[in-house]
Amino acid sequence: MAIAVEGVSKRFGEFTALEGVSLEVRDGSLTALLGPSGGGKSTLLRVIAGLEAPDEGRVLIGGDDATPIPARKRGVGFVFQHYAPFKHMTVRENIGFGLKIRKWPKGEIARRVDELIALVHLEGFGGRYPSQLSGGQRQRMALARALAVEPRVLLLDEPFGALDATVRKELRAWLRRLHDEVHVTTIFVTHDQEEAMEVAEQIVVLNHGRIEQMGTPRDLYDHPESEFVKRFVGPVTPLGERWVRPHDVDVSLDPVDGGIEAMIDRVIHLGFEVRVELTLGDGQHTWVQTTRGRTQELELQEGEIVYLRPADELVSA
Amino acid sequence: MGGRLALRGIAIGYLGLLLALPVGLVFYRAFEDGFSAFWNAVTTPEAMHAFWLTCVMVLVSVPLNTLFGVLCALVLVRQEFRGKAALNAAIDLPFAVSPVVIGLALILVYGREGWIGDWLSENGIRVIFSPVGMVLATIFVSLPFVVREVVPVLREIGTQQEQAAATLGASPLQTFLRITLPAIRWGVAYGVVLTTARALGEFGAISVVSGKLSGRTETLTLFVENRFERFDLTGAYAASVVLALLALATLLSMNLLRPKEKKA
Repeated sequence: MAIAVEGVSKRFGEFTALEGVSLEVRDGSLTALLGPSGGGKSTLLRVIAGLEAPDEGRVLIGGDDATPIPARKRGVGFVFQHYAPFKHMTVRENIGFGLKIRKWPKGEIARRVDELIALVHLEGFGGRYPSQLSGGQRQRMALARALAVEPRVLLLDEPFGALDATVRKELRAWLRRLHDEVHVTTIFVTHDQEEAMEVAEQIVVLNHGRIEQMGTPRDLYDHPESEFVKRFVGPVTPLGERWVRPHDVDVSLDPVDGGIEAMIDRVIHLGFEVRVELTLGDGQHTWVQTTRGRTQELELQEGEIVYLRPADELVSA
Repeated sequence: MGGRLALRGIAIGYLGLLLALPVGLVFYRAFEDGFSAFWNAVTTPEAMHAFWLTCVMVLVSVPLNTLFGVLCALVLVRQEFRGKAALNAAIDLPFAVSPVVIGLALILVYGREGWIGDWLSENGIRVIFSPVGMVLATIFVSLPFVVREVVPVLREIGTQQEQAAATLGASPLQTFLRITLPAIRWGVAYGVVLTTARALGEFGAISVVSGKLSGRTETLTLFVENRFERFDLTGAYAASVVLALLALATLLSMNLLRPKEKKA
């Protein structure tokens, strides 16, 4: 189901969490709300879910105004940051909760729960309590619980935030595949740009309660519309008056047009990638990212004078 | 090792001298003249009435304070409003104020010269020197327990489970019954046990408002005092034993309930 947010504002006392936020999410798409903490992304997710009422603006789900509809009637699946498992219920009871509330017959609940347990790979864990599960298992249980009621929209608040790095990477790929299988319109919140880039089709960058930019991962990376987005969605390095991507800098040994003179302080080999730290003529410190091949070709060494130039004008000040 | 043994010795000795020994002696003295003497003492009409009245006190005040306690805890934890700090402090009043003062306060309000006592007696309702006032006094003194046990549990569980239930389609009532109540059940159970124990043992406030009419407004605690003052020591000890057994049964029933729960 497509989602539209129109001019939503939300204040908590003096603090403005959202200000005039508008966005559209295509039916069946996978969108990331990306931004620093306190930027308003979780609040926006909660407003869409109906867990928070906006001070201004409205939320449309499937073209209908959902603003006055309470969370329990919105048909929205929500996965909380810490999964909010029902601690006194087993995995099966957790997953079947929404169906029980809907008064499904027992046999049908059991069948549906079996399906979901298979979908999230929790076979054999149905009788366990949440406290007996690992973080990743708990998260998948929460996901199955949200999917059980066949929501029109799936919302995930920092779905990978509380997991360790390895599990995170696994679950990202898994969420991506799950979305291909289930095809429910999905929005998730993250503060990790790499996560957003890897999982989402569309990224919405939020900062100080406003949308900075919306677009595909590539759009944001290659055509950031603001300094903030440029710095948030990828690494940047200073070059004179401007900030550029460290891999978009051309290093040459001879003076070039528009090139900036710099002295190499250190060459750090990180496998295929090589990181070169330099000091510019005016004393500014910077670094560029290059490859092992290029480093060998130029025979880059400490103390050497080189000339730096932005490789293309895609990234501008 | 020696240090640890000494610590254990102090703890056990302290409890033994202050708790086990006196209570044990009461049991001993109650049965000193044989079981039939004990049985005769606790089956006199006055003793039976006192036993029954004590049960009434518990059966009225515990459910009311449980209901009110859970409600109050929900308001204190989940809502922000002016005067919340005052309400929070007021709930502890029965802990801070001596029960005798509470009894006197009730007389000031409901007594013959009291604030609404006149109106009540004109309408044929007698509060002071009747079981009604005694129930009020018992509710008053045992009011904070459930609130104080439930508030920290509610704080700890937070609101996410309830919000999750809401997004899954549960109404507020369904959420309360299926999510909140099971989550706070041990806090409530412990509060109920403490409330029951307090209601069973209440003496000060009740002694002021009851008028101590033997066979009419005398609970077990008042009965014990009455017998003791009249040198009927067997009667006093026997009633004490009944009180102690009631309290023990309360504690045991909770402990028996616990292991049945699957570990969560």
